[in-house]
Amino acid sequence: MAEHCAVIGVGQTQHDAKRIDVSQYGLVREAAERALEDAGMTYADIDAVVVGKAPDMFEGVMMPELMLADSLGAVGKPMLRVHTAGSVGGSTAIVAASLIQAGVHDRVLTVSYEKQSESNAMWALSVKVPFQQGMVAGAGGYFAPLIRAYMKRSGAPEDTGIRVALKDRQNALKNPYAHLKLEGIDFDQIANSPMLWDPIRYLETCPSSDGACAMVLGNAAVAKKAPKKPAWVHATAMRTEPTMFSGRDQVNPQAGQDCARVLYKKAGISDPRKEIDCCEIYVPFSWFEPMWMENLHFAPESEGWKMTYEGATALDGDLPVNMSGGVLSSNPIGASGMLRFAEIANQIRGEAGEHQVDGAKKGLGHAYGGGSQFFSMWIVGDQPL
Amino acid sequence: MAIKQEGVLTISEFPTTFTLEYPYTRTLGPVIGPFLTALRDGRILGIRCGSRVLCPPLEFDPDTGETLSPDFVEVGPAGCVEFWTWIAEPSRKHPFQEPFAFAQVKLDGADTAMTHAVKAAGPEAMSAGMRVKAQFREERTGAITDVYFVPEGDARDVAIAPGEGEVAISTHLISLTFEENLYPSRARYAQGLLDGKFIGQRSPVNGTVSIPGKGYDPLARVLMTEADDVELASTGTATSFTVITPIQYKGQTETEPYVSASIFLDGADQALSMQNIYSIPVDEFREGMRLRAIFKPAAERNVDNVDNSWMIFTTGNVIERWEPTGEPDVPPEEFPEQI
Repeated sequence: MAEHCAVIGVGQTQHDAKRIDVSQYGLVREAAERALEDAGMTYADIDAVVVGKAPDMFEGVMMPELMLADSLGAVGKPMLRVHTAGSVGGSTAIVAASLIQAGVHDRVLTVSYEKQSESNAMWALSVKVPFQQGMVAGAGGYFAPLIRAYMKRSGAPEDTGIRVALKDRQNALKNPYAHLKLEGIDFDQIANSPMLWDPIRYLETCPSSDGACAMVLGNAAVAKKAPKKPAWVHATAMRTEPTMFSGRDQVNPQAGQDCARVLYKKAGISDPRKEIDCCEIYVPFSWFEPMWMENLHFAPESEGWKMTYEGATALDGDLPVNMSGGVLSSNPIGASGMLRFAEIANQIRGEAGEHQVDGAKKGLGHAYGGGSQFFSMWIVGDQPL
Repeated sequence: MAIKQEGVLTISEFPTTFTLEYPYTRTLGPVIGPFLTALRDGRILGIRCGSRVLCPPLEFDPDTGETLSPDFVEVGPAGCVEFWTWIAEPSRKHPFQEPFAFAQVKLDGADTAMTHAVKAAGPEAMSAGMRVKAQFREERTGAITDVYFVPEGDARDVAIAPGEGEVAISTHLISLTFEENLYPSRARYAQGLLDGKFIGQRSPVNGTVSIPGKGYDPLARVLMTEADDVELASTGTATSFTVITPIQYKGQTETEPYVSASIFLDGADQALSMQNIYSIPVDEFREGMRLRAIFKPAAERNVDNVDNSWMIFTTGNVIERWEPTGEPDVPPEEFPEQI
């Protein structure tokens, strides 16, 4: 890596089921302008813009990079669009970071969004798209059998998912931007919520949200002049595998395991459980917390659920996970991955407000997408690596 | 049906037709909302941007990205054509079903042009620099189609009573019909379904059988041909499942909870995923259950929803139901974890 890259500005919208007060442009600009303000910049200071959003069917917008070029101040500048299904928010941030690390640009604005209320997520993930895969019954219908397989494989107690959901929903109460804020949420409310895609209950599921997230990334010279503390990018990694092939481990995908291994190696981390202070990971259905704890090598195989059970992943645990309330609390799909990357950067910057983990120095941001087949991750720290 | 010679880029002549359609909404926001509200009420608004007036208006300065304050200016209703093109054969979605022009119209008082339709006698009636005037339609809904343009002298007056409330959200039925030719391996799979058979493919590299075959081994990246096809049994074991409680949306046909199962056909190394099962009560369904596919009568089978996608779960519309074979359940340790 030729240049250091740091997160110097973070912005996100208020996430909600229907943001009927703003257009798609307005939604994206709300996040972008908050990130610019956080970085003490305007559009004029930016060298390039990198945008991401999830499958086009959500809004029926096939070329968001074209639609958003002038609304994001990208006229006369390079503009890129990234697309890796649900992991896109993460991979968009990684593409933006690579432009800084490669020395191509000094200041990059990266933005991702979804305005899910402009169609219907279950429709958009079930319909047969020209020359692409169909998901048949939305994301829940696809992932439920994977969760069932994990439960069988690990012997995890049946209420593990409820415990994850309770923790994330309680964390969301501390996040002013969260979509779902369920005051007084308790174990029984989640346990008694309707079974949507057995074994996934309604309150163990992510919502459909309108929202956007943005970050301003800069090189070392820019970061040193930033008005607030930067979060330094220590390592980034992406890995991919096919959705279906005979013998594929869909519960603990090889691509995710490999992605985490190479990420830790690049970041000089040998014992992730000890060296990483907190994580924001992509958990759209509660059971994915223990599944990803194993896939990310924080727990031995079939023991990820113990971290939830022992409270290790709670806000006051030894490895807090999804302090912001996570995807379970806000899910503007295209932005959901970037929100993980941005929330973890804010933890390192000491800017996470009520859900701040005291003294967080090293954190992991994680996103996945498709049929658990695209992975993007980064490690950020309070000092350059 | 004729299937051409197998090859990575060769396609069969097994066309399938799909229609993709959804009534998308657009939240109009603080600028396009008032613009469309004004159109409904027979007025055209531009927005001040520095020393210019933009029409149609934008929320932001297109050069700098800076937010524009909602400082609207009424423009038109007449203006000049800057460029135009003649649409001799309008499509179903065009604003007119008879020939018309699309033109860039710069309205009086605006500094930018708006793309819109001009209804003129013919291409000879169109020219750059010609004067045109807004012609509002009798029925207006707060949409860009509430108005069109005509040569200035052809405009007729329409009495316009302002509508009620603000136009805040617009709805657009977006619809696309497309045809897809199946790859040879997928065409043979589809033909098999029509014949009441499950056709898989055996990898020449490691001998594993996938269904449906992709025409290549996805890991070894080795081509598979018709010689690698294998016919599988219509019996198998349920290896994982979920119960789906349907969410309602336009086009949704499911109303009651149903089982969606992964079925590991006898002789296959890959499950046939997401098979909808309606004939077995959800609380009686279990992993390890032995099932048999009962095909519909040949005349009732179709493969309309079979396409080339890499993540295919469909067995077309050929299966009447999956029914228990009556054999004892397969114990969990005897079937591989297949989703």
